[in-house]
Amino acid sequence: MTAVDPLHLFGSLVGSAAWPALRLVLHLAFFIAACVVLWRAWAWLRLTEPRPAAGAGGWFPWPLLVLTAAFLAVLGYQASWHLTGLFRPRFVAFMQSHDRREFNPAHRILRGRILDRRGRVLAQSRELEGRVRRVYPFGPAFAHTVGYSDPQFGAIGAEAAANAQLNGATPQTLASWGELGRQLLTKTKQPRGQDLTLTLDSDLQLLALQRLGERRGAVVLLRPQDGAVLVSATSPAFDPNRLGPELFRGPAPGTPLLNRATQGLYPPGSVFKVVMAAQAIEAGFSGTLHCPAGGFTTSRRYPPIRDHDYYSAQKAGRAWAGFGNLDLTTAFAESSNVFFAQLGVRYGRDAFARAGERFAFDRQVRLYPGTDRYGSLSTGRLPRLAASDLYGLAQASIGQGRVLASPMHLATIAAAVANRGLAMRPRLLVQEPAAPLGQYMTAPTAARLAGMMRKVVTQGTGRGIDDAGLAIAGKTGTAENPRGAAHSWFIGFAPAADPRLAVAVLVEHGGFGSSVAAPIARDLLVKALELGAGP
Amino acid sequence: MSADADTGFAAAWFRRRAERELLLGCLGCIALGFVLILGADAASGRQLGALDLLPLALYALALAGVHLSLVAAGLRGDQVLTATVAFLSGFGLLAQYRMGDFQSDPGALTLGLVPAGFLVMTVCALAFADGRYRVLARGLWVWAGVSLVLVAVLLVTGQRFRGAVYALGFTTPTEVLKVTIPLALAAYLERQGQALARWHPRLPLPPWRALWPLLAFFAVLIGLLALQRDLGMMMILGLAGLVVLASGTGRIGYLVYGLLAGAGLGALLLTVFAHGQRRLDAWLDPFQDPTGEGWQILQGLSGMYAGGLWGEGFGIGSPEYTPIAAADFIYSVIGEELGFLGCVVLVLFFLILLSRGIALAGPGRCAFGRLLAAGLTTVLAVQTLLNIGGVTKSIPLTGTTLPFISHGGASLLTAFAASGLLLAISDGVPGRSAKPPRAPRGRTTGGPSADLKPRKVRRKTVPREAAAPSDT
Repeated sequence: MTAVDPLHLFGSLVGSAAWPALRLVLHLAFFIAACVVLWRAWAWLRLTEPRPAAGAGGWFPWPLLVLTAAFLAVLGYQASWHLTGLFRPRFVAFMQSHDRREFNPAHRILRGRILDRRGRVLAQSRELEGRVRRVYPFGPAFAHTVGYSDPQFGAIGAEAAANAQLNGATPQTLASWGELGRQLLTKTKQPRGQDLTLTLDSDLQLLALQRLGERRGAVVLLRPQDGAVLVSATSPAFDPNRLGPELFRGPAPGTPLLNRATQGLYPPGSVFKVVMAAQAIEAGFSGTLHCPAGGFTTSRRYPPIRDHDYYSAQKAGRAWAGFGNLDLTTAFAESSNVFFAQLGVRYGRDAFARAGERFAFDRQVRLYPGTDRYGSLSTGRLPRLAASDLYGLAQASIGQGRVLASPMHLATIAAAVANRGLAMRPRLLVQEPAAPLGQYMTAPTAARLAGMMRKVVTQGTGRGIDDAGLAIAGKTGTAENPRGAAHSWFIGFAPAADPRLAVAVLVEHGGFGSSVAAPIARDLLVKALELGAGP
Repeated sequence: MSADADTGFAAAWFRRRAERELLLGCLGCIALGFVLILGADAASGRQLGALDLLPLALYALALAGVHLSLVAAGLRGDQVLTATVAFLSGFGLLAQYRMGDFQSDPGALTLGLVPAGFLVMTVCALAFADGRYRVLARGLWVWAGVSLVLVAVLLVTGQRFRGAVYALGFTTPTEVLKVTIPLALAAYLERQGQALARWHPRLPLPPWRALWPLLAFFAVLIGLLALQRDLGMMMILGLAGLVVLASGTGRIGYLVYGLLAGAGLGALLLTVFAHGQRRLDAWLDPFQDPTGEGWQILQGLSGMYAGGLWGEGFGIGSPEYTPIAAADFIYSVIGEELGFLGCVVLVLFFLILLSRGIALAGPGRCAFGRLLAAGLTTVLAVQTLLNIGGVTKSIPLTGTTLPFISHGGASLLTAFAASGLLLAISDGVPGRSAKPPRAPRGRTTGGPSADLKPRKVRRKTVPREAAAPSDT
């Protein structure tokens, strides 16, 4: 037997089946050798270290300390990419679309699905030619709440807020951290993320969008008892399957990126009378106010605030005598501007500001756990009124002037009336526990107001949607605005005796709330209760 | 332990056994890495030849040569320093070999680079050992002049590429400044240290009369470098200047003023150069333009993420996806193939190297030696931090190389020369010890470290006069 060429031997060894194992051994041996050298260097270092003489002042090597700290900082930051890059959504997205290393674990992560409350898929990852792509089966219907996750455009909505969970890493307990560590060591890095279930109901969401049609507007449906949002529909929307730079470039017509349900701020109009009525009840208002046909104004310099009936009579060429003396319940049912303008002025701007604070105006409320970076609720905006600005106060008291509110916030107001005055924070993730947003009013006030809202539908401005099958309580609104026809509003809840759902509907420039927004709300409530959407 | 036993070859052989042990360890470790890379090469279908073993053999020969020369010359200098340099350069050799530097017809230049580096280090160490490095202090004007002329000539004759200036054949002669500037600084501070330490008695004002030559020199130097857009070099040399100035005078105020001025200058340069602003943007949010400005850093980070905790193994990764990986982004290749642990090991070796430099800058040596050590160590430290920090996105990219590891002859040779000088300084200055080696403590009776103690003792006995900044 002749001497074997060692290189040849090595070559055949590499070709053999044992090579992967051998490679691992070599890899490990390299590390061990490096660590041994380090350890020996350290040992010799201490043996040969020139210690400062007793009297030399003990020179402390603080530059070394600074350097070590600097290197540690760099290594720590490096680890945030190197080891836990999973927690960086855009980084993972970048790797999934631009990294050609096959062994990069990012390619194996199948991002978790996003489901509605009945398990319908709202977003899922599909593997196409070795690349993972995000697909949104409902297209634009959930664009704002589910959001999108895109390497180029980043992530918003639930996609962003629950990113770590969707990518498979939400270590909350020590055990799950241990699990993550194990996966890092064995390099599996959890190839599939966890699914995320939302409180939304796709059937109801689609119904809401269908009823809105081409019109701009928003619909919110939520459960008063726990704040679960069943519908958060916004029109117009965009298709998250087809994102393009033009979408993000400047103000597009219709501003499809704007989440009207949570971020759109509109004059609430008569719907705001719910707030004023609650304030009046709590202030102990009883008796009547005189509401003449000539309206009400705080000064002769300003045009009088009148009731809708005056204008409709004028339009029909008839004379209108005015409401005369109105009590709170009737004024609320008839949505008398004259009554509520007087009411607001009577209690003054401080009471008005207090009511606004109590009803959580001027706040940003988070919708996803932990953060409001990826989507939050802008409740509304109340004007800071000067003491002399009585006319402004009168206007604000009927939800006009500079009062603004978002549809979802008004839905929480309806929900608070239905939930003994306690408003729950709207939430979109099933896993998130219910949490209070604020006690908008006392329970007795809420009970009385609920009766008044029921009367709006049975006898007042909401008569048109009075349904034999379902007892709805609510309040219509027709909000004047400078940009065109009035915004059409309806907020309410059902069933009136045992409320299980609260709703807010806005149709931009829709006209009368009673004839445009209210029917949408009714259809939605009927369908929702049919589907058993209550708690 | 008699005097002649202390100077003989056998004694030196025994004295430097720490170095021997560590060098052998390095060789073993690098050989393992080499086998790993060769295996990966063979597995991908390349036919191995005997020539493929040449880089490893040359590395082994170089280590042996260094060790034997130092022993033969009876150098008492730092032993861990040599070993650390050996490990880092071996690591660099592996990385470069892995990047395919040797595969297509390895020229003598490529093969000989690391051995040449060791030669430079040995020559520097031996030439300036035994206190001879103090001769270098006389060349103040030479070092200053050479530095300025180099930068100026490069600026006139160099060619621009990727925003930086290169000389003929893509060499970067300005790397030499990493040695000449610390030399010039140490020499100046040795002469003017006392004058520079006399600040205004009440106001926090430095002595302008002694400071202005230094200021003027640095203004010209930084200006020329700014014209070359070599931000990394500006930061390295600027910080080295400040550290030497502060440690030579014991005035922290220089550091404070210098850092403020540096921050101001940085802000100014950012507004002037679009190049810098782009890099800053790419650093702050690389996802703004992931396929453009952010591409390199994100690909580097992707590679590291793919590497995970301990990587795929040398030779298994795909560093070719990261642009210019062999030069500035070699650290991300290491992160990809050896994982986070590999990076930690590398950083620990750098820290050991730097700690040796810092120990030299401490008390117990002549002023020039301390200052030179401080300058050289600062250069190495800042360069390492700028590179690693840039690649890991901790700080903006400055386009600096990683000492001993990155591709590039000039950078490698300068780092070797700097460590040779550190080695020479660590050898100490003869005749400065007031007493014979074993006098102060009576406990150096035999034992394995007995022969090491005289060095310690010698250092211990000097420091009083050597430690004071005024000592010249």
